[in-house]
Amino acid sequence: MDAVERENLDRQKRWAKEQKVGEGAYAVVYRGREFSTGRRVAIKKIKVGQFKDGLDMSAIREVKYLRELKHRNVIELLDVFSNKTNLNLVLEFLDSDLEMIIKDRSLVFLPADIKSWMAMTFRGLEFCHRNFILHRDLKPNNLLIASDGHLKIADFGLARDFADPGFKMTCQVITRWYRPPELLFGARYYSSAVDIWSVGCIFAELMLRTPYLAGESDMDQLKTIFRALGTPTEQEWPGHTKLPDYVPVGQFPKTPLRDLFTAASTDTLGLLSKCLLYEPRKRVSAAEALQHPYFYAIPHPTHPLKLPKCTTQMAPRPLGEVDGDGNVDDDVDMTGSGGTFGAGVKSGLGPGVKSGAPNNTNKGRLKRKITSPMEGADGDMSARTRSIARKLDFTKERYVKSP
Amino acid sequence: MNEAAVGVIRKTFEAYEPGSSSNVSFVNAHEEHLLVTFYVHKISQLCGHFRFPEEVEATATSYLKRFYLKNTVMDWHPKSVMLTALFLATKTTNNPISLDVYASHIPNTVASDVLDLEFLVAQSLAFEFAVWHTHRALWGIWLDIQNLPDSLPDISKTQGSIYESALIHVRAARLTDAEFMYTPSQIALACISLTAPDLAKKWLESKENIPLPENRTDIPPRPSATTLFASIEAIKSIITNAGKVPDVEAVREVDRRLRTCKNPEKVVGTKAYLARKAEAEKKAEEKKNKKAEIQKASGAADTDPFGDPLSEPVKPGLVDYDDDDDDD
Ligand SMILES: Nc1ncnc2c1ncn2[C@@H]1O[C@H](COP(=O)(O)OP(=O)(O)O)[C@@H](O)[C@H]1O
Ligand SMILES: [Mg+2]
Repeated sequence: MDAVERENLDRQKRWAKEQKVGEGAYAVVYRGREFSTGRRVAIKKIKVGQFKDGLDMSAIREVKYLRELKHRNVIELLDVFSNKTNLNLVLEFLDSDLEMIIKDRSLVFLPADIKSWMAMTFRGLEFCHRNFILHRDLKPNNLLIASDGHLKIADFGLARDFADPGFKMTCQVITRWYRPPELLFGARYYSSAVDIWSVGCIFAELMLRTPYLAGESDMDQLKTIFRALGTPTEQEWPGHTKLPDYVPVGQFPKTPLRDLFTAASTDTLGLLSKCLLYEPRKRVSAAEALQHPYFYAIPHPTHPLKLPKCTTQMAPRPLGEVDGDGNVDDDVDMTGSGGTFGAGVKSGLGPGVKSGAPNNTNKGRLKRKITSPMEGADGDMSARTRSIARKLDFTKERYVKSP
Repeated sequence: MNEAAVGVIRKTFEAYEPGSSSNVSFVNAHEEHLLVTFYVHKISQLCGHFRFPEEVEATATSYLKRFYLKNTVMDWHPKSVMLTALFLATKTTNNPISLDVYASHIPNTVASDVLDLEFLVAQSLAFEFAVWHTHRALWGIWLDIQNLPDSLPDISKTQGSIYESALIHVRAARLTDAEFMYTPSQIALACISLTAPDLAKKWLESKENIPLPENRTDIPPRPSATTLFASIEAIKSIITNAGKVPDVEAVREVDRRLRTCKNPEKVVGTKAYLARKAEAEKKAEEKKNKKAEIQKASGAADTDPFGDPLSEPVKPGLVDYDDDDDDD
């Protein structure tokens, strides 16, 4: 056997693969364990055989960037090994993600909790940007939560580096609801500000407990954004009408954020509005955000160990979809169990800004990876059945495992 | 490395045909190196043909050289490895090109020739796809040099040409092993020094008195100027002596001998090749049978989504690392 094959086998032998816990667009994720220490890990197995151009770009990006990044708020890649035509990434095991926490109606978020999640997100992102890496797919579902409450940025399948300022890049990135207006207008030269917009959307979602800017199509996404934040003027965002895919989508007045986020502090809205500035160059950077008064004001961020935790553990979600109920209207909640911040009283607006169009089935079936070869293969029904089955499994296991 | 490889291949020859290795003249380490260097140069030509960006070329050459830190040309010919390394580099640098288009531009090559080695190359790189390049370091230092407080009076006149000729040295450095011993910025500075020694010195001196950031324990102590100058001189001599395209005749001679001393297990059709293939197939068959038995015994508990995980804890001993067919 070749020295290289032997090395690979040695690496492979360090890890035990156990049951399947999730499925992404191009990978199956298993729970696993390090033999020598018993440490829990996740093994993300990427099927390679199916790609006619060999190793898939998403897999390559994920391996390339995670090999370079080591930070408390970025998921750790422990090892990589191959196995015939599969590539296996050994990742630290993370119990849940922010989307599940947001959706868990039994949890109440305090302002300090949100501040803690935001601080961890900005710290991880500042580290990525400092190393000239754009994530390009930030959303609650890709912010995973460790058992000790630490938040970790995961899923670098769309990441890229941005060392050269004048370099043309694709605008077909970032899941629609979290995509900034410059990408929706087809900008091919953009910066780390695209990730900041996504973080702004996540920030708002943590307060509203429902996606803030949930457009139904790319065109509708722009409309949704403008309805929420007002149509940008040339002065606010110079040159935007010259962007490749610019189209006028109507004039909407500016409504103060305060109208929707009635209970939020001034600092909170100050930082939020800086994340959601139209002019990308004026948008706050991750490093600046961490210095914002919001993070220094009372209340102090909750210690990660004390953050609200999911009552159920991670359920498998085929194709990284939003779980089961994609209908955001179901989430309108005025009883106070969730919406500490969102007023939900402004009739006609509701939490989250949506288009007037009736919901359709596309809602929950966001296409999340433009480059992925297969998409939308699973029906809603199978998704729901499977996640219920898995939830049952985990609930039982939890009682045994918890110390 | 070369000795170990010769030992293994000699044994393989002997195992299948006793006595057959005595008249084989194996290639030595120097000759391996010569051949690999030649194909590093070939990559550069191919990149010109495809008009790939410099980053692709630099990445692919690093991949090819790194590959032979762990492999021998007697197992894998650099001509094939080069094609795979280059294709992989287009992807890892985010300049992907369709495999069919790629293969169709290279004579006598089909898509599968490129793909067959992709895993082996990725493994040999230990999946470390990111490469820090000297040409980027050169660009950075060059920008910084232009900020020197009292730039040489004639700098603006010669500016462009200093950078251009330093870049030529950077490309020559790719033919050497300098990157395995020195950092990209050291090599870049050596390349400037080859062109404009005074300017390089001046820039380095300008950095000497900049204090290190306070309260940072993670930054290693700065090497003294003397140490740095010594490294720069060492790199300069490596580039001057080794940064050349090998003589084609010498390469051809090595290649001719290589044909007789290739690892017989890797040459399609030989006895050794067939034997190894049969062995691999037997193993796969055994594994499949064993797996079927395990599944029968456990009632396939771990594949049933409604199965009760408590009743059937998965024992590590039973875990099949190879279960790539349980869900596709
Ligand atoms: N580190 C991890 N620990 C536990 N479960 C994980 C981990 N990484 C991924 N998963 C599970 O696998 C699913 C798919 O993984 P993901 O990395 O998002 O794949 P994709 O890039 O295809 O979206 C996730 O939604 C989650 O349920
Ligand atoms: Mg995902």
